[in-house]
Amino acid sequence: MIRKSGTRKWWFILVLMVVFIGILWWQHGQKTKKGTINVEEILLQSELRNRTFNSTVQKIAEGKVSAYLMEEHSNPIVAISFIFERAGVAYEPDEKAGIAQLVAAMLIEGAGEYNALQFKQISEQYGIKIGFSASMDDFSGYLIYPRQHQDIAAKLLKAALLRPMWDKKYLDLNKEKMLLALQKQQEHPSNYLSYKFRDKIFAGHPYSRNILGNQDTIPDLTAEDLANYHKTYLAQNNLIIGIAGDITKEKATTLLRELFAGLPEKNNLAKLEPLHLEFSGKEYKISRKIPQVITKFATEGTYRQDIDFYPLYLANYIFGEQGLNSRLSKVIREKEGLTYGIYTYLSISEASALIVGSFSATPDNFYAAKELLLHEWQRLLQDGVSSEELRQVKTSLINEFNLRFADINDISDMLVTMQKYNLGQNFLDKRNDYINEVELQEVNAAIKKYFSTMPDFVTIGDYEGEK
Amino acid sequence: MTKYGLFFLVLLGFSESVQAKLFNAQEFMLPNGMQVAVIENHKAPLIKHMVWYRIGSVDEDFGKGGSAHLLEHLMFRGTSKVPDADFNHIMDNLGVVSNAFTNYDVTTYHQFADISKLEALMALEADRMQNLNFNDQAFAAEQKIVLQERKQVVENDPESAFDERLNLILWGNSPYSRPITGTEDEIMALSAADIYKFYYQYYAPNNAILVLSGDIDVKTAKKLAEKYYGNIPAKDVTKRKVSEVKENFQERLTMRLPQIQSPKAVVKYLVPHENQEKQIYTFLVLAEYLGGGETSALYQDLVVEQKKAFAVSVYYRLAVSGNNLFSLSVIPTSDNDNEQIFTLLNEAMAKVVTEELDAPKLERVKQKMLADLIYANDNPSDAAYWVGYMLANGYSLAEVQNYAENIRKVSLEDVRAAYKNLGQISRVEGLLLPIKKEESHD
Repeated sequence: MIRKSGTRKWWFILVLMVVFIGILWWQHGQKTKKGTINVEEILLQSELRNRTFNSTVQKIAEGKVSAYLMEEHSNPIVAISFIFERAGVAYEPDEKAGIAQLVAAMLIEGAGEYNALQFKQISEQYGIKIGFSASMDDFSGYLIYPRQHQDIAAKLLKAALLRPMWDKKYLDLNKEKMLLALQKQQEHPSNYLSYKFRDKIFAGHPYSRNILGNQDTIPDLTAEDLANYHKTYLAQNNLIIGIAGDITKEKATTLLRELFAGLPEKNNLAKLEPLHLEFSGKEYKISRKIPQVITKFATEGTYRQDIDFYPLYLANYIFGEQGLNSRLSKVIREKEGLTYGIYTYLSISEASALIVGSFSATPDNFYAAKELLLHEWQRLLQDGVSSEELRQVKTSLINEFNLRFADINDISDMLVTMQKYNLGQNFLDKRNDYINEVELQEVNAAIKKYFSTMPDFVTIGDYEGEK
Repeated sequence: MTKYGLFFLVLLGFSESVQAKLFNAQEFMLPNGMQVAVIENHKAPLIKHMVWYRIGSVDEDFGKGGSAHLLEHLMFRGTSKVPDADFNHIMDNLGVVSNAFTNYDVTTYHQFADISKLEALMALEADRMQNLNFNDQAFAAEQKIVLQERKQVVENDPESAFDERLNLILWGNSPYSRPITGTEDEIMALSAADIYKFYYQYYAPNNAILVLSGDIDVKTAKKLAEKYYGNIPAKDVTKRKVSEVKENFQERLTMRLPQIQSPKAVVKYLVPHENQEKQIYTFLVLAEYLGGGETSALYQDLVVEQKKAFAVSVYYRLAVSGNNLFSLSVIPTSDNDNEQIFTLLNEAMAKVVTEELDAPKLERVKQKMLADLIYANDNPSDAAYWVGYMLANGYSLAEVQNYAENIRKVSLEDVRAAYKNLGQISRVEGLLLPIKKEESHD
C-alpha cells in the first residue's frame, strides 16, 4: 500500500514536472514566436544613418527682381516656380470674373513668334514644361526644363510672359472650355461641395467666388480685357520666384534678367482686408441624390507668420492631420469604421486663416461620425493634448523633413512659399528647431483659443433643400 | 553627372548605336525566390520601399470579390509581433509616408522615407508577409471601412460608376469584369477565414517583388534584402492563367445619370495578349500620336479644326499581365446627335492615321515621348512605380531599361498595322449622358 501510494505520488510529481516544463517550453515558444520588433534597436545599428542633404538656399537678384535658389546638380533638370501676388481670382473685378484663369490658359496659346501649335510642339520636343494657373490669391507659373535646353525654354517663357497673342480662335475655345468646366464641376459631388463650401463660408466676400469663373461673365471677356489684366496684374513688385536644380548662381541670375526684366516694374494692387468670420456650429445642407453624404467644416485658424502658428499647427496635426494616427482617424475610422477617411488641415490665404476638415459617410453613419467628431473636438478643447502626444508629433514631423526634397519642382515651389510668408532664407535649417521649441502649454493655449468655436458645416447629400 | 549628361545626349541624338538605359538599376533574386530590383538615385537621402505581390482581384474565388482589397486593409491591423495598429504608429513616428493599393493583377505595399529608416521598414514589411494576426474588431471595422471606400470612390463618382458598367460588358465572364473592391454584398459576406485563406495561399516571397529606389547602392541593398526577407520560406503558388478573349464583338452602352451635365463618349478596344506582347510600344506610340495632349492629331482635328469636341484623350497602359485596353474618350461640344460622335471619331482616326501620318510626324511623336524620360529620374518614387509595375506584370528589367530603344524602333508600318488591328478586335462604345426631362426613349 505504502509502496503503491508512494509510486503514485512519484508518478504524480513526474507528471507535474512534465506539465510544468511543458508550460515553460510553451511560454518560451510563444515568446520567441510572438517576440517584438525592436525598431529603435534596428535604427541605431543601421549603417544607413546620418546622411544629410545640402539644402543651402541662396538669394540672387538682378535689378528689381530677386529669387531664392537651391542648386541640385544630380539630375540635369531645372525648375522655376513663380507667383504674382494679389493677382488671383479674388482680385478680379466682379464683372470680369474668370479672367485670371482665362489669361492663365491663353499665355500658352501662341506667344511671340510661335502660334499655339508651334509653342506646344516646341515645348514637347525639348521636354520643356510650361504652364500657368490662378488660385484665389495669386497668379502662378512654372517652367521645368532639361538643362541643355535652357535657351529655348527661356525664349518660350519670355514670349508667354511678355508677348502673348490672345488669338481669337483659341480665346473662343478656352472660354467654351471654361464654361464646360463649370458644368462638369457639378458632376462630382465633392467638386461641387468645394465650390459651395466657399460660397457659404465666405458669403459676400471675393473668396466666395467660384475658382473656375462665372458663367455670366466668361462669354463677354475679350482680348482687350485679357491685355488689360496682363498689363495691370503681372509686374515685378508682386513677383516671387524660386529656382531649383542643375543651374549655377551666375546662370540663374542672368536668367532672372532675361525672363522677368521686361515686366512692368510696379503695379498698385491693394491687399484684401483680413476677414473675420463668425462660426457657430451651424450646418448648411445641399441637396443631391448620392449614395454617400460629404461634408466640409471650418472654423477660424491663424496666419503663417502669427506667433500661434506652430502651436496650432501641432495641435491640429494631432487632432486631424496626422494621417491614420490622428485622434479623429483613430476614433472614427480605425475603431468604428464609420468613414474611409477624415482629416483636418490649416487653410491659410492672404485674408483668411481657417482650420478646415472633411469626411464622407453613408447616411446611416454620417451623424454618428459627426457626433464623434464634435465629441473629440470638445475633448481636445477641455483636456488639450498630452506631452507624449506632443513628443510623438514632433518626432514624426522632424523625421519626415527630407521627404520634401523628392521632386525638383516641389523644391522650387517651396522656395516661393518661403518668400511669400517671409520665413527667412535659413528656414530649411531652422524648421526642425521651430517644431522642437514649441512647449506643451503653448499648444494647449492655442487649442483653448481656436477650438473654442464650433465649426460650421457645409454638407451635400440626399436631403431636401437647396440644390 | 557625366553619366546623366551622356544619357541625355543619346536621347536627343537619335543615336542608334548606343543603348541608353532608362534607370541606374539592377536586379537579383533571393534564394527563396523573391525578386529584387534596386534603382539608384542619390539626389537626397530618401528611399521608396515597395513590395509588390503578383496577386490581385482577378485571383479571387467567385463570390469572394473584395478579398484581395480587404486583405490589403487588414495588413495594417496587426501581426503576432506588431499587434493592432502599431504598424501605423511606428510609420508615423518615423515620419514615413506609408500606403498600399490593390489592383486587378497586383497588390502593393509601399513607403517613402528618409533612408535612415529603411531597415525598420524592411523588418516590418517582412514581418507582415508571414505573421498576419488581426482581431475580430479590426476585421469588422475594416469591412465597414472598405464599404465606405467603395461608396466614396466608386458609387459617389458618376464616371467610376460608368466605368464599372463598361467593364462588365467588355470583359464578360473574365474576372477583369468584376470590381476590385467587390460588390457591397460580397464585401459584407467575407469572413476573416476567407481573408486568411487568401493570405496564406498567395503571400510568399516567391510571389513578391521588392523594389528599392533612392539613396542606396546594390551591394547594401542585397545585404539588407537577404537579412530581412531572405529567411521567409517560399510557398507553392500556382501561376495565374491569362484569360482568353475568344469572341469578337461590338457593343454599345448608353448610361444616363442624374449628376451628369454634359455628355462623354468612350471607346474601349480589347487588345488580346498576343497582340499586346508584340505591339506594346506601337500601341503606346499610336496612343500618343492620336491623343497625347493638345498637339495630338485627334485634338487638332476634332477640337481645334472641326470644333466637334472640347477634349480628346487616348490611353494605353504600358504594363499589364494579360489582355490590354486601348481607350479613347471624347467630350463632344454638342448634346445633340450623340451617336454621331462615334462616326466622327472613327472618321477622324482613319484620316489622321492613314492619310496624315508620315515619317516626320512619327519622329516628332517619338521624340516627345523620349524627351520626357529625363524626368523619370527625378523623384525616386516614380522610378519605383515604373519598375514595379513592369516586373509585377512579368516583364524583365532589361525590357524596362530598353524603353527608349523600343519606342525608337516603332515604324510607320507598325503604327498603321496596329491601327488596322483595332478594326478587327472587340470593342465597346459607351455614352454617358445627362437625364433630360422631356425626352423620348430610344
